[in-house]
Amino acid sequence: MPSSTTEKTRSGRVPGARAALIWGVIAAVLVTVSTIGVFLVAPEDADQGVIQRIFYFHVAIALVSLVAFAVACVAGIFLLRTRSARWDDVGDVAIRLGLLFSVLVVITGSIWAKASWGTWWVWSDPRLVTYLIVVLIYAAYFVLRSSVDDDRRMRYAAIYAIAGFASVPLSFYSVRVANSFVHPVVFTGSGAAMPGSMLIWFVVSLAAMLALFIALLEVELIGRRAERALRRVALALENT
Amino acid sequence: MSTATNHPRWTRQLAGLVRKDLRLELRTKETVVAMVLFAVITLTIMQFGFGTRDDDLTRFTGGLMWVTLAFTAVLGVGRSYVAEREQRVLDGLLVSPIPRVVLLAAKAIAIVIYMAIVEVVVIPLVGIFFVKGPYWDSIGWIALVALLANVCIALSGTLFSGLALFTRARDLILPVLFLPALVPVVIAAAGATHAVAAGANDMADYRGYCLFLVAYAILFLLVCVATYDAVFDD
Repeated sequence: MPSSTTEKTRSGRVPGARAALIWGVIAAVLVTVSTIGVFLVAPEDADQGVIQRIFYFHVAIALVSLVAFAVACVAGIFLLRTRSARWDDVGDVAIRLGLLFSVLVVITGSIWAKASWGTWWVWSDPRLVTYLIVVLIYAAYFVLRSSVDDDRRMRYAAIYAIAGFASVPLSFYSVRVANSFVHPVVFTGSGAAMPGSMLIWFVVSLAAMLALFIALLEVELIGRRAERALRRVALALENT
Repeated sequence: MSTATNHPRWTRQLAGLVRKDLRLELRTKETVVAMVLFAVITLTIMQFGFGTRDDDLTRFTGGLMWVTLAFTAVLGVGRSYVAEREQRVLDGLLVSPIPRVVLLAAKAIAIVIYMAIVEVVVIPLVGIFFVKGPYWDSIGWIALVALLANVCIALSGTLFSGLALFTRARDLILPVLFLPALVPVVIAAAGATHAVAAGANDMADYRGYCLFLVAYAILFLLVCVATYDAVFDD
């Protein structure tokens, strides 16, 4: 056990607790501000009406889920280089949160589809469909983790996190392969397809979701560290 | 002897490993025969899956073909390491000085060859079974899609079958890992087939889907090369 961690634990401070608290407060403030802004301040879309407001969260959650998968991929690379268990924790927690956010993307996308097109699911919308594929890919991550033993688990999970992340740009590229797609594209090569009064609340929503992700990541990592420390204590007690 | 010294060592290793897989398959005929039979059975079931007995399923050509081939690929990929594992050949290969990436390339080449043999049966059969319209004129274009898709299937399949090899219930794990990663390949290959089959000649879509398959292959090649060492790092 690293000495600094031991000292902090002995002094009664939980490692990472301060960061988790700070990010938790930032996330709480930003989520409150963005919710008020999106529903009470942002202008209503002339074409789509009130349902357009779901996009502030839908797109923000989608982008943050990609950040989560990117974090897991980077953690996977570091794990393969260092073989340190803490990168396994980071990768595992990031994918758990990324998957949770992805499921929310699919659900909010489905709600929007019902309001806009009158149906809960539209197979001709490749972006929604490929997001479903991303969910399936990352759901398989947990099946893999649960079916291998400790030593291989970290390595295989890291490899899968890297391979899974390779599928993300593929899923986004696929939206532009076919000529017939119906999903509104918010960000194009020429910039954001929304006025400044909407863009500002989108940026706030994005910051809120990002802060929420970081706060949840920090909290979950504290739990993982505590779990490892407990296991070490149990092992030490068994040996005495 | 002079031929052996003229070639880099890895090419001889690669050729030897591919020869080993193909010779084993020629002797046992376990995998490819089962794959072909499985593909024909799946195609037959597909006809009844629509609920109506329709002679003209031209608009579903790409989907029928590539769903069948994707499931067949899972079967073939799942068998790719069985001989090595059951007869402990893998232990010998892993302690030999063969780079892991050469092992990966040899497995991928073997899978491409197995899939090509299956496609020699499946692609014409799809035309006979389901298509009423010009199909045979575009067979060359479909063959090109098949070649690109085979490379994609082989690269991702080799990586995932390596991961599934030491898992509990690996026969179940492989499809769960492999099929979601294969969906973009099925989308692109089915789309490209649909774009040229039955006289559609939508070459813009065809090109787009083929480029997508190339991008997929390059990405998975990079992932495989970067991570394959760690798969067998025991």
